[in-house]
Amino acid sequence: MSKSTLKYCWLALLAAVGAQTAAAAPWARGYVVAFYDPAFRYGGRADYSRGTEIEPGVDCPRGSTVHFAVPAQVAHSLSLVPWRTPKEVEELAHPPATGLNRDPAGVYFHTWRAASAYRGYNREIETYINPFAAEDPGQPQVTSRIGEGLNLDGKIKPGDFVGPDGEKGIDNQLYRAWGCDSPWRGANGNGTLVLRSNDKMVEGLYTIVIRISGTRDPMNDDNATLEIGYSPDQIVKDARGNVGIDYSYRLLNSEQYTKLRARIKDGVVETEQADIHMPQIAWFANQNRDAFFRQGKIKVVPNEDGTAAGLVGGYRDFRDLYTQNAFAQSGGVQGVREHEDHVALYYALRRNADGMFNAKTGRYDGISSAYRMKLVPAFVVDPDKPMEIPLRESEMRRRQAFDVTAAATIRAVDTLVPQEVPSGSGELAATDGIEIGPGGVPIRGRGGRRSGVNPAAEDKVTGIPAKRE
Amino acid sequence: MKLCILFGIVFGIGGCLAVAAAQEHPPMVPAAGPGVFTVKPSEPGAFTLMVTGHMFTSRGDIEKYLAYRAARFTIEKGGQWFTLKEDRGTGETAAPAPARDPEGARFSFRMKYFRPVWRYKVNGSPEWTRWSPFSGASFISSDPKNISHFEVSAEIVVRKGPMDDADPLAFESWALSDLLVNQVSPPK
Repeated sequence: MSKSTLKYCWLALLAAVGAQTAAAAPWARGYVVAFYDPAFRYGGRADYSRGTEIEPGVDCPRGSTVHFAVPAQVAHSLSLVPWRTPKEVEELAHPPATGLNRDPAGVYFHTWRAASAYRGYNREIETYINPFAAEDPGQPQVTSRIGEGLNLDGKIKPGDFVGPDGEKGIDNQLYRAWGCDSPWRGANGNGTLVLRSNDKMVEGLYTIVIRISGTRDPMNDDNATLEIGYSPDQIVKDARGNVGIDYSYRLLNSEQYTKLRARIKDGVVETEQADIHMPQIAWFANQNRDAFFRQGKIKVVPNEDGTAAGLVGGYRDFRDLYTQNAFAQSGGVQGVREHEDHVALYYALRRNADGMFNAKTGRYDGISSAYRMKLVPAFVVDPDKPMEIPLRESEMRRRQAFDVTAAATIRAVDTLVPQEVPSGSGELAATDGIEIGPGGVPIRGRGGRRSGVNPAAEDKVTGIPAKRE
Repeated sequence: MKLCILFGIVFGIGGCLAVAAAQEHPPMVPAAGPGVFTVKPSEPGAFTLMVTGHMFTSRGDIEKYLAYRAARFTIEKGGQWFTLKEDRGTGETAAPAPARDPEGARFSFRMKYFRPVWRYKVNGSPEWTRWSPFSGASFISSDPKNISHFEVSAEIVVRKGPMDDADPLAFESWALSDLLVNQVSPPK
């Protein structure tokens, strides 16, 4: 072998070793979740002339839900209550304003939320805690075949969606069941609760971070790790109000944390299938809970600008979904304000449930779901010392109200024994000074909080101290 | 005296616990008497369900019991839902057949479309009188106290797999059973 040949061999060997060393270097990249919403694919036409939140589309041919939005719909819902007379139904659907002191929330709001809370087969049964005891008022469902999500069961079934990229077998029956629900439907994430929950998240209610790490090429690594979980650090915004890039966040090893094996191919990250614990969508502190996806998976697709699109999917317990949506405040407040009916949502969940088969009951307890995440680059670090998810002392009363209400609901649904409204439940709380008595009767003249009003924020906006009741 | 107070406390607590236990016990519908509920196959996958009795209570109570038994029968057969086959006699078109509305709201069940057909005898008469919810005639014009025998029947088709929730005559068996289990008891 000549000297020159030997030299080339050495150079080649060094280059190969160098390349191998570079590719094998440990690496990590992090993201903070800047937007988080259910993967409901909006099907409204961009050129639709009315441009309202209820516009029809290929997803929902009649548009979004109008529960408790118009008297005719209220009359329909209340006509299903066996102990209501037709005269009562008409009067409740068209509440008279005469003889009442109008308050900022309006008489429709309180009359409807009170009547909606008692629709069981007898007038003593509170409906939101005992949804099975009321007739199904009906829920518009997604009719489109296209939907976002992941194939969770590895099968292609008749009811599955086809992904926007043509992938078949997409399991996202939560989209089928709730995709036309008014507060969750809208173009570019402008459903009212999508906006509200993301606004709260960016303003500090909770933070989710992702850390992806490996030892090979960050673009192609079949032995990578993805961690996701709660961060105690508030999201940092830039001067334009967007989520800032490259800030540091701690990732807690808490009950809302999961570490998954992942494969990376051409930059696209796909995790193994396992139970995933991570924060769920919240717009009140009492909703800061574990989303708990069974048989979950996460996919992260990088964008050219360094951001990424994330998708998390899995089967969620229908009882969690129901209680977490209904009881942040109370079922009636949420229903009338957001034009959704939790009885209809309950039946739609159970009808479309497709996972977590319960051999004891012969029914499915879970429903396939998927959630989108817009990811912004961040430094994700471990805390200096282990810590739990902090709980705010000021929110403990609301949290306990949620807990007792959710527990009663789950007991009711599991045993079919109608449960009374437990003491301390948000279902008993006054709104605008009005409580709800048995039979759905609004009771005026008592103190209590105002619906959807944050006195501190109102002071800040108006410069005038908000009226406290 | 002290013994009485002690007994009072013990039985008081025991009574409270018994009430709590009873409230938490899953609801059960009492068993029907012989011949009150019968099932006959009509076509492949289809069955005619009938509830009979001598003591008329109310139309709603008896029809709900039949609906509950239809739901439970579907579950026992391994089905998830059933469809009702309307028994419309000639000319019984006063109540129009409900139409499918695939773009409208979807339902687990619609009680207003569970419309079984009745037969009854008055004052021990040997003659049956038919009453159809589709005829436009008002429900049993006789004094209910005079009804000596009644039969309420519905033909259903037991279905498996995902429910066709756009069909107005489709009933999800578990949802219907859950709603009615606390409300019904067999007629006599």
